[in-house]
Amino acid sequence: MPDPFRLLEALVLLTALVGFLGLIWRRNLFLRALALDVMGTGAVALFVLVAARSGLRTPILDRNELIRAASPDLSWADPIPQAVILTAIVIGLSIQALLLVTIARLSRLDPLLETSSFERLLLESSVPASSGRRS
Amino acid sequence: MAMSALTLAIAWLLLPFLAAFSAALLPRLARPLALVCVLTTLAWGVWASLPGRQVLFELIGSLGVQLQLDAVAAPFLLLNALVVLAVLVDSWRQPPPGPFLLLLMVLLGGLNSAFLATDLVSLYVALEVVGITAFLLILQSREPRQLWIALRYLLVGNGVMTLFLIGTGLLYLYTGSFRLQSLQELPSGSATLAVGLALVMLGLLTKAGVFLSGLWLPQTHAEAPAQVSALLSGVVVAGGICPLLRLALLLPAQQPVFTWVGLASVLLGLVYALADGDLKRLLAWSTLSQMGFALLNPAAGGLFVLGHGVAKGALFLVAGKVPSRDLSVWGRQPLAPALGLPLLVGALSIAGAPPLLGYYTKASLETLPPTGIPGLPVHVLVWLLPLLMVGTAAVYARLCWLPLGAGWQVPAPGGLLLALVLLLVGLVGPLLPGGSPFPSTAALGKGLAVLAAGAGVEALRRGLARPVTALGFRRRLRLPSLESLVDLLGALAVVGAGLQLLLLRLQPLSAELLAVEAACLG
Repeated sequence: MPDPFRLLEALVLLTALVGFLGLIWRRNLFLRALALDVMGTGAVALFVLVAARSGLRTPILDRNELIRAASPDLSWADPIPQAVILTAIVIGLSIQALLLVTIARLSRLDPLLETSSFERLLLESSVPASSGRRS
Repeated sequence: MAMSALTLAIAWLLLPFLAAFSAALLPRLARPLALVCVLTTLAWGVWASLPGRQVLFELIGSLGVQLQLDAVAAPFLLLNALVVLAVLVDSWRQPPPGPFLLLLMVLLGGLNSAFLATDLVSLYVALEVVGITAFLLILQSREPRQLWIALRYLLVGNGVMTLFLIGTGLLYLYTGSFRLQSLQELPSGSATLAVGLALVMLGLLTKAGVFLSGLWLPQTHAEAPAQVSALLSGVVVAGGICPLLRLALLLPAQQPVFTWVGLASVLLGLVYALADGDLKRLLAWSTLSQMGFALLNPAAGGLFVLGHGVAKGALFLVAGKVPSRDLSVWGRQPLAPALGLPLLVGALSIAGAPPLLGYYTKASLETLPPTGIPGLPVHVLVWLLPLLMVGTAAVYARLCWLPLGAGWQVPAPGGLLLALVLLLVGLVGPLLPGGSPFPSTAALGKGLAVLAAGAGVEALRRGLARPVTALGFRRRLRLPSLESLVDLLGALAVVGAGLQLLLLRLQPLSAELLAVEAACLG
């Protein structure tokens, strides 16, 4: 029986890896943004998992808990990673919003959102000297 | 005293964000507020660069935000203030469309926090703020090309910062803290640890535009509007370099990783800069190589980035105003001195010409630690470094072939301002207490020899250009294009995997790890 923590950690890292591979290999821009979100989910899950390593009990004391707190086998969750990841969730959300707005703008050029058709935008202009000259 | 310094410093860190918010409500105040933000940053930069100044902030207890205002951050603060000041001066009469000044202030504030942050989570937040602001700055005009460049920047930047976050989580498992200092006490030999450290380093290297992980940089810096290019190439990349230098100083055992990655970046940037035919792309590739230099010697890296950033800011500000960016017709048309002089001073400073600031920062970079690194003995490094500097001089010699015309209207006051800083600091610097001493005749001779060799390489390149084209080698010699989105993202995977291998190899393998390996092999 493997350590369940290790197993979950491996699954979470696998999620992030799958997201990263999707980011690399998907041709459609929208799916790339989605893959980025999968990666973000992996990161959030990792922090939640890290917080739960020392225990699952919410680290908030009320009066009854205080009485029981003397018993040694209370295992509290670690509040720090959970608090920290909230910021990252907000940042991730706002970046997703910006990405989707930009993608929506770009969809006027190519409604299929193929990466290659946007890559062509740069190629047309960046061949130096021989073909295009720009100021 | 310490308490009041702390309060003042926190007020200074928050000021740009408050100012940006006020400027959104009262647009007329935007310019003076931006100027105040820049000048306070300059003052704090000067204060922090005086010897013996160090303020450590721990907000909300020992598990909260940790910031450190010290000698490592000082050159970066000065750089931030100078480049943003130049951009502000440049756009004083006619600010670019959109909320440009507002974003400028947020960028300044985000970068200040990134330079001071010494815990991984604050660093993550600061770098994401910088990334989002830079994205919005690139999107000044909503042409399809800029939309695509900005989207690429955000995809790569956020992808890599997510990896950074995962690395942070993995390191927390071991250290129970987000502090950079806690990385010093790590047990060696664990695979998870190497993965965590590699992901954190990958995030910072990508933000700094180093080596393959910085392949996003040339196109982005070339396509952005001129003022934004100056910001990106001058100071935004420093947001990644500063924490990297902090890491390198804290973990001297990992210096070989930094040195190898730095050298690879220098070479890659030089080769592509020498081959490129577009002014802004040449400058951007050169940024990639210069950031590699900064990693070679973490103690002198901050000053080096300062010298480079000020010069690169001037160059990009001018590059937006030259009649043609095409280098194949470069020098046929004389340039007005108000544009040509900052361009020459900036180029010469990065190439390392003696009385300019760039000469001193390069010289201090050469004072390498006496021991080499594994696989690269110090006597090889001592020869390699001047050789790479000749390459840099050759890149900038391409720009110095430049006739100056007449006419003294100043269309780019920002560039002129930065060029003046390069010259004055170079002249006055040795006189200041604690400044670098006047160079000896031998050192000066060496510096000039590097410049002359660089000019020689450029002359050779010019001489060979015609026969190479005539014989049809040009097409065959063309370097592979590495800048499609797949390349950029794939490069992240390659660099991440490479870093892990390097980190694992440097650490003595633990018995547990060997047992796992044996099980896999058996």
